[in-house]
Amino acid sequence: MANSIPLSKPSSNLQTKTPNESSLLRWICLAPAVIYDSLLFLLPLIFLIWIGFWTVDNYRLVPGFSLSNYIDIFQQFFSKSRYAYAILQSLWVSSTATFLTVLFCYPFAMAIAFVVPVRLQRLAILLAIAPFWSSYILRLYAWQTLLNKEGLINSFLQTLHLINQPIEIVFTQIGTRIGLIHYLAPIMILILYLALQNVDRSLLSAAQNLGATRWQVFWRVLLPLTRPGIVYAAVFGMIISLGDVLSGIILGGGTGKSIFGSLPLFASMILNEYAASTNLPRTSALATILIVIMVLILFAGTKFSQSNQ
Amino acid sequence: MAIQKKQGSDRLLALAGWAYLLLGFGFLLLPIFALVLFSFEDSRLPTLPWTGWTLKWYNFLLSDGRLLEALKNSLIVSPLAAAAATVIGFFAAYALNRFEFWGKKFLSILLIVPILIPPLIMGVAFLGLLSRVNLQGQLLSVFLTHVVILIPTAIALITIRLAQMPSDIEQAAWNLGASEWQALFRVVLPWSIPGIAGAWLLSFTFSFDEFVIAWFVSGFQPTLPVAIYSFMAFNLDPSLNAIGTIIFALSILLLVGVELLLIPLLLENRSNSKQA
Repeated sequence: MANSIPLSKPSSNLQTKTPNESSLLRWICLAPAVIYDSLLFLLPLIFLIWIGFWTVDNYRLVPGFSLSNYIDIFQQFFSKSRYAYAILQSLWVSSTATFLTVLFCYPFAMAIAFVVPVRLQRLAILLAIAPFWSSYILRLYAWQTLLNKEGLINSFLQTLHLINQPIEIVFTQIGTRIGLIHYLAPIMILILYLALQNVDRSLLSAAQNLGATRWQVFWRVLLPLTRPGIVYAAVFGMIISLGDVLSGIILGGGTGKSIFGSLPLFASMILNEYAASTNLPRTSALATILIVIMVLILFAGTKFSQSNQ
Repeated sequence: MAIQKKQGSDRLLALAGWAYLLLGFGFLLLPIFALVLFSFEDSRLPTLPWTGWTLKWYNFLLSDGRLLEALKNSLIVSPLAAAAATVIGFFAAYALNRFEFWGKKFLSILLIVPILIPPLIMGVAFLGLLSRVNLQGQLLSVFLTHVVILIPTAIALITIRLAQMPSDIEQAAWNLGASEWQALFRVVLPWSIPGIAGAWLLSFTFSFDEFVIAWFVSGFQPTLPVAIYSFMAFNLDPSLNAIGTIIFALSILLLVGVELLLIPLLLENRSNSKQA
């Protein structure tokens, strides 16, 4: 029957017909993005690395090639400004915050995907990402009023006589982590929910029919299948929290306490140092160091996920 | 017997799931509730015994002016930056979706990468460049820099929409005599409208909430998050709750738009395949 009507044949000769202006159109469409990103993305980044080698004399930038910023920074690495400790604090707080966020979000996304009726799932996701649409800095402010010594949570616990003394959360790195978890959770829930949605349900019931217990289905089928989503979410969380300044300042009080002591986060330190000194070359050098740390983490992350597969 | 037991544990598991969801939503929504609620409370400190309703923080906000001025700045910059990024992003997404060419992979990575670089690093980098050409410290600086970090969002969302477009539609337009430009503007563009609107909304939200880059480049014309940040250094009072409530009311309006545009766009393929 398909042969009887010539018109219904795949019209391959027609499909290859493209008008003449193709190549011009392509470049006109790409040009704005390419030019814009070259001028205002690549150029600033190259410039950032370059400025790290400049110096400041009498509040004026002096172009040149001097290692003095880096020498100075590395000389103060363990003393005075103690950058090494700030980097350590950043890595510790970011990795624990990321881990806790995944731990919180995975079961949450699972509950939405498997327990909530399909027609309500969209609403649940929408509610879960609602905090994302309100201002981040004001959410941190709200957390601060909730968590501080006279705050709602402490006074609530005290009226219930669960605690006698208010708990110190604000101005410790626990506070920083609460802010970060609350910031990361909506996006992570979305990522993990989409990863769980992509899992073929028949694989789960097949495993169950073959006699796997619930735990086995979870550990040996569901978790491995959603592994890319988890790695993706974790890398996302790590990069965002390493670069975040607000939670560490507003909830962590700048130099919040952790098991390593009262140390600032590296990102907050960069911001505060610039606010105090407006020394752009030195800030650029510090930012360049942050880039190097992140590239190393990305590299380690990809190596890790490859070696396990 | 065994089946009954299994059903029982199923129900238990579902119950645990709902309980967990309830707790989780409590955590996620608690600060927003607190923000809205305490913007109407009389007392300066948000403590348990409720002291009474008031609108004085809203009055204070209106009479102070600093935060409102910053809100005005933000409402100028963010919609424009989102619009510019969406226009640039639409054309780039169209070209990347339709054409194959040498270096395409590199180019798509280059165009997405700005959103992966932490804004702190971009903020320092932007300030370094802009201060060399005397473009720092103005609203224009915020506009110029925000467009960079919004383009990836716009490209990503519009690409999702374009990928759902059957390529025959455009080819049909050519075969019926449309030029490529006509097909682009009268066939591809209308098809992309949900993606474009979603991209604008998400870009607007990103820009409106962006702090670090704006802190570095905005100078004496702060955007709202920057103004809130310096406001917080001096006074911690509930007029912050008041502006937070206003912003949240604005974002609920946006959310309605998102629910109508963005979520269907992201979930369309999946819900379709589920029905099949």
